[in-house]
Amino acid sequence: MESQTEQQLKANQARLIKDRLARVGVTTGGVLVLVALLLIFFYLLYVVQPIFESASVKPMHSFDIKANDQTLALGMEEQAEIGYRFGASGQGEFFALQDNKFADRKTGDIIEQRMLVPQGQITSFARSLPVNQQFVYGLDNGEAIIVQPKFTVTFPETARTQGTRQVERLIVPRFETLNDEQPLQVDQQGRTLEQLAYATDGEGMLMAAVTGADTLLITKFAAEQNFLTGETSLTPKYEQRTLTAAIRDIAVTPDLNKVFALINNRIVVYAVSMSGTVSESQVITLNGRQFGQAQSLHLMPGAATVLVTHESGIISQWFEVPSDEGRTFKYIRQFDAGGPIVDLEVEDYRRTFYAVTNDGKLNVFHTTSEADLYHEALPNLDTQMITIDPRANHLLAEAGSELTLFKLNNEHPEVTWSGLWQEVWYEGYPEPSYTWQSTSGSDDFEPKFSLVPISFGTIKAALYAMLFAVPIGLAAAVYTAYFMSPSVRKVVKPTVEIMEALPTVILGFLAGLWLAPIIEAYLPGVLAVIILTPLSIIGFAALWQLLPSHIRTTLGEGRASLILVPLVLFVGWLSFSMSPWVEALLFDGNVRGYLTNELGVTFDQRNSLVVGIAMGFAVIPTIFSIAEDAVFSVPKHLSNGSLALGATPWQTLTKVVLLTASPGIFSAVMMGLGRAVGETMIVLMATGNTPIMDWNIFEGMRTLSANIAVEMPESEVGSSHYRILFLAAFVLFIFTFFFNTIAEFVRQRLRDKYSSM
Amino acid sequence: MISVSPNSASEKLDLANLTDEQRALEIKNLSLYYGEDRALHDISMSVPKHGVTAFIGPSGCGKSTLLRCINRMNDLVESCKVKGDILLHGKNIYDKGVDVAALRRRIGMVFQRPNPFPKSVYENVVYGLRLQGVKDRRVLDEAVERSLRGAALWDEVKDRLNASAYSLSGGQQQRLVIARSIAIEPEILLLDEPTSALDPISTLTIEELITDLKQKYTVVIVTHNMQQAARVSDQTAFLYMGQLIEYANTDTLFTTPMEKRTEDYITGRYG
Repeated sequence: MESQTEQQLKANQARLIKDRLARVGVTTGGVLVLVALLLIFFYLLYVVQPIFESASVKPMHSFDIKANDQTLALGMEEQAEIGYRFGASGQGEFFALQDNKFADRKTGDIIEQRMLVPQGQITSFARSLPVNQQFVYGLDNGEAIIVQPKFTVTFPETARTQGTRQVERLIVPRFETLNDEQPLQVDQQGRTLEQLAYATDGEGMLMAAVTGADTLLITKFAAEQNFLTGETSLTPKYEQRTLTAAIRDIAVTPDLNKVFALINNRIVVYAVSMSGTVSESQVITLNGRQFGQAQSLHLMPGAATVLVTHESGIISQWFEVPSDEGRTFKYIRQFDAGGPIVDLEVEDYRRTFYAVTNDGKLNVFHTTSEADLYHEALPNLDTQMITIDPRANHLLAEAGSELTLFKLNNEHPEVTWSGLWQEVWYEGYPEPSYTWQSTSGSDDFEPKFSLVPISFGTIKAALYAMLFAVPIGLAAAVYTAYFMSPSVRKVVKPTVEIMEALPTVILGFLAGLWLAPIIEAYLPGVLAVIILTPLSIIGFAALWQLLPSHIRTTLGEGRASLILVPLVLFVGWLSFSMSPWVEALLFDGNVRGYLTNELGVTFDQRNSLVVGIAMGFAVIPTIFSIAEDAVFSVPKHLSNGSLALGATPWQTLTKVVLLTASPGIFSAVMMGLGRAVGETMIVLMATGNTPIMDWNIFEGMRTLSANIAVEMPESEVGSSHYRILFLAAFVLFIFTFFFNTIAEFVRQRLRDKYSSM
Repeated sequence: MISVSPNSASEKLDLANLTDEQRALEIKNLSLYYGEDRALHDISMSVPKHGVTAFIGPSGCGKSTLLRCINRMNDLVESCKVKGDILLHGKNIYDKGVDVAALRRRIGMVFQRPNPFPKSVYENVVYGLRLQGVKDRRVLDEAVERSLRGAALWDEVKDRLNASAYSLSGGQQQRLVIARSIAIEPEILLLDEPTSALDPISTLTIEELITDLKQKYTVVIVTHNMQQAARVSDQTAFLYMGQLIEYANTDTLFTTPMEKRTEDYITGRYG
């Protein structure tokens, strides 16, 4: 007896351990799932977070340059190892910005110095857009000298130890004077060039100069290549205009066909033809009272935007917009630097600009996103001049003879929360818009990141899919669970559920390559099927009810559905075979043309109708399966109770069964919606991926998920584009999270209300 | 439809020879098959009006099946086949062309477990009336009060007619289901072990209610509990293995059973 008890106790102990292990195992599993979810959530946030950081400017070190003339311009090479300056005496210097042991350079060392203007009096200075890195001295004899700092980068071997090579970067700078060291004649008459503006497209050049307060010279140098020698020669074309007032500032565009001249509070825009002929194209009137007296003109990269600085510290932005009189410059927006501006620098590639005010404050703005990125005083309050390196990683500021190098951190100026979700006025667009256009072939393209069109696309795709899937899925579920005989149900339910396992790539493939052309070819037929099938079923049901009851009983109540099958098939056949006739008769044989020309409705082959049907097909099993379970699990005693009160099966269904199953049916629909929102392959293959915002059923869309799938492989890691795609993923996550939470919340409420015992 | 009761509980009826006047329902040679299995064997009996008829017998004897034949609830079971007739006012309810829904309006049923709908007390009671298209609020209100009073529930729920039916206790729920059934004024009320899921006090209330109900309705009750049958019924039928063994006035059946099997059952030798 005793040993038996002992054995029993031992067995109990083993059971206890198993029990404990199971509990620990299950708990660990559950916690790990939660942790995984949270990790995804926070990883997405971690990647996304930098795009909302503002700029930071940190001083690295200061040094003096031994130069005894005034600085006209500063610059840096790409790596910010070497800086250069152009002096008012015509002297150019390269100096080290950072210590470099290998090259034996110390910060502030002059690496190379050269007299760039051997003869003549310097009267003006100009620079190309930062991208071209060319600088021009204007002389008192109407000539100009174009200088370009050049950098040769080599990687000489410094040491070789046991098979590993030590390689250092060596940058050797030099000044190159263009046009074979010869000055260019800007003014035929040899007058003093008091102000100068310069632009180049790499071959040809355009110069604008002011001689005498109100005389504007526009000289275009067309580049021509000699076929035999391969040498390029420049052919100048001289034009001259006299303006009504003293010219304050001039600017020329690098496409060599526009010149801007600022007089008082007006900008006169001249169009320069290919051959160099000049014509006045527009006079922009600046509202002096609103902005204050205009001071200077600056072009943004791409040169489609003109920035005007005003004495009040306001910087106004203007660009060309399509209007009734062709493309004309228009006021777009303004930025406030807070005080008179002493220097304004634009970045080489992005739409960011840096403005220093006379009280030593540095302001960083991004034009398109209207982002106000930085607003701090520089350490040296009488900073007169700044420059940005081509990669926009460093800023060099000059105050007196002291230069200070700053580390710039401004990774994602083009992204702001409001820019992602609100209308943004992009360069050259007629009005603010929601646009997603992340890449382009052009260099001076600015990416347009609005999440609105792709979020809209997600919702549109999901809604059209639900429009198709909910009626069919729910009707099928109710029929299977409530009316179908158990033996047939046993076959039907698993069959529909297997549909869920169908890879969506196949559905997408079929939708894009097979269904879309059919819908295009038989559009009236497809629409007729969609409209006529439910109508014919309802009509048939009504007729069936009208039949005398004895005929119905003889035919058999259950046979109604059998008679319905050929009817539905007939309607389908009729719709499709009538399609060409209808098309010929009503739409002049071309529905697409009729839609576009007569109704103004665009028709894309891959459109929401295709997606609705294909994705609806993918969603139906989800909705069917959950809703069927919900209807089927309504306790029999409830439906029996209703039937025992003299209710017909239909009355029982609508008044008791659906009510009791409503939590389940609701979550079925929401799960379907969640699936449709997250679905990728079908929308990727069948929507055309056009990020447009239009409810038109005949146009496509681009969804968040498809957008990520399409663009992630080609986005640079760490770029704004990359992070915004992660943000899109985060938004998608929130979308599904939101739908599921709402679903769960409503389901709980419904269940509290209608739960059966 | 409802006439004054011609017989009281104490009056003994000749069950084999009821007049058309006295008869509520006549079952004639009724057999029932589940697929190949025969569940009921050639049952014939008459149920008198305005009395309580009890079906007793051990589990699986077919008493519930027989009850469910009376309002054709067995139609819902797929493999179920019925042979024979059940005559209501001389018409076979199994005839072709009989509107089952209309039949069930005349023969109400209360199930073993309380099954109120997930609606308010009020909506539960008027459910059957709404099915018939009654919309007049006054008619519905009257029906609710009458039915709840009829089911001895009015005093307990009159202040919370709009509360969920699930907020009631089990016994109250079962009385609500009875109220729901009598709201549409059926001729016959079938009770399928109505107290088996209830506590003794609720059971007592329901039993008292059944005694009241027979004033207006013909009641057929299936019960496991022989004391209950003895307490509430006027006639008792004993079924065993799908056969009607004995059918007699309750006093007679419990005191002087004719059959050995009946005696064995009521003395607790099996079942």
